[in-house]
Amino acid sequence: MYHSIADIIRQSEEKSCPFWQIVLQADMEERGVSYETSFATMRHMYQAMKDADAGYDPTIHSASGMAGGAGEKLHVYNAKGANLCGGLVGQVMEKAIKMGESNACMHRIVAAPTAGSCGVIPAVFLVVEERLSLPEEKMVEAMFVSAGIGAVIAENASLAGASGGCQAEIGSASAMAAGGLAYLQGGSAEQIADAAAFALKNMLGLACDPVGGLVEVPCIKRNVAGAVNALTSAQLAMAGITSAIPVDEVIDAMRRIGNEMPSAIKETSLGGLATSPTAVRLTEK
Amino acid sequence: MNIFEVVGPVMVGPSSSHTAGAVKIGYISGRLLGEPLVRAEINLHGSFLATGDGHGTKKALVAGLLGMQTDDIRIPQALEIAEERGIVVSFGQAILREAHPNTAQLILHGRSGQRLEIIGQSLGGSRINIAQLDGIETNFSGESPTLVVYNEDRPGHVSEVTTMLSNQNINIASMRLYRSSRGGEAVMVVECDQEVPESGIDWLRGFDGIRKVTYLGMTGE
Repeated sequence: MYHSIADIIRQSEEKSCPFWQIVLQADMEERGVSYETSFATMRHMYQAMKDADAGYDPTIHSASGMAGGAGEKLHVYNAKGANLCGGLVGQVMEKAIKMGESNACMHRIVAAPTAGSCGVIPAVFLVVEERLSLPEEKMVEAMFVSAGIGAVIAENASLAGASGGCQAEIGSASAMAAGGLAYLQGGSAEQIADAAAFALKNMLGLACDPVGGLVEVPCIKRNVAGAVNALTSAQLAMAGITSAIPVDEVIDAMRRIGNEMPSAIKETSLGGLATSPTAVRLTEK
Repeated sequence: MNIFEVVGPVMVGPSSSHTAGAVKIGYISGRLLGEPLVRAEINLHGSFLATGDGHGTKKALVAGLLGMQTDDIRIPQALEIAEERGIVVSFGQAILREAHPNTAQLILHGRSGQRLEIIGQSLGGSRINIAQLDGIETNFSGESPTLVVYNEDRPGHVSEVTTMLSNQNINIASMRLYRSSRGGEAVMVVECDQEVPESGIDWLRGFDGIRKVTYLGMTGE
């Protein structure tokens, strides 16, 4: 069992096995399942992410009318080669926004860690799998890395917007994706931790202020921010840059910030964007 | 911490609390009714009432009542499917004091005339709590095999239940007793580490004073 990222790294050194295996072993212990069952369950999650990505419907709109169509616009824009961010980042942006829209429109997704932040991890992982021609086994291993980071955040801070604001949802998803990506690029356990630390630091203090209480505005587009932030955070770590503040202390800071946030910006829709004049008008419709 | 609550569940969006949690409340309620549903009155409270339409909360509750799980792609069509099956569904506003913000009250009528009133709360991240059964306060999640025994509030019924579980070699994870009043209606909620076989449940049904036994297994219907 582990209770911090430092725990995972220490156990990984003691047992001479990779970060992801420590997370898998803890799952075997926790749920009383075999190695094969744990791995197969995670493979199922990754496959479900792929299916959700492939099932994007460019014509869908949400019940409120606020969500839908953005993924297709970005697809057309990328296809023209107009995206200044380049092919890889452009594709990550596209997948992230598509998944957020699919979720808003009642399609099947994988909460990772939440439904509102479901686009971050698949956007990064699916694009990188193809770009680096990685085997599926490796992708499932990276999913365990992400899950371990998320489990530590859940234990020591929160994954719910209602208790920690959006930093706990998109912020956590971004940290999970960044750590997973560092692993996919051959990063060490320390680099995984640094990547997660960078990603989370950039998201600290983020308000959860959804318009009309719906998982649409600003949630869908924030999946893009979380995914791109994960990409850049992992690159910092892979370049050998280290985080001045260790990841476990960043997670603790997130918890304290969440506690100090007023409830108006913790998924109550009583403040922030949710009470802007336009939001009020949109909600009245 | 189950890592598949961090990466997962696979679910129909948009909200783990307002959609996936609502499916679970409906699913458990349908199972607790224990017979085919003919009519459901669904009353919403708090955030479920305020933002339920945009989150598909009504569809999700009905989908669960129809036996669908959180990842069922038919959830958006649940109201139409209920209608096709001749199930009458109506919605209203729940009048509840001091209730959790994400609360649903379901009044269910079964084919043979069984009636069940249930209050479910969605606690966030698709975790739920069944807070009331037929007006009696309860507190359980349906995350492990759960035996629900309705009995008269008289001595001996607890030992009948524990004897049966002991004979079947089933370990009790938690056991709570609730009652409406002294000597009145009582409900026993027993969360178990192993599945309870049908024979054990039937055995309990044979006792005087045990009015109803329902069981939520982990293997589906």
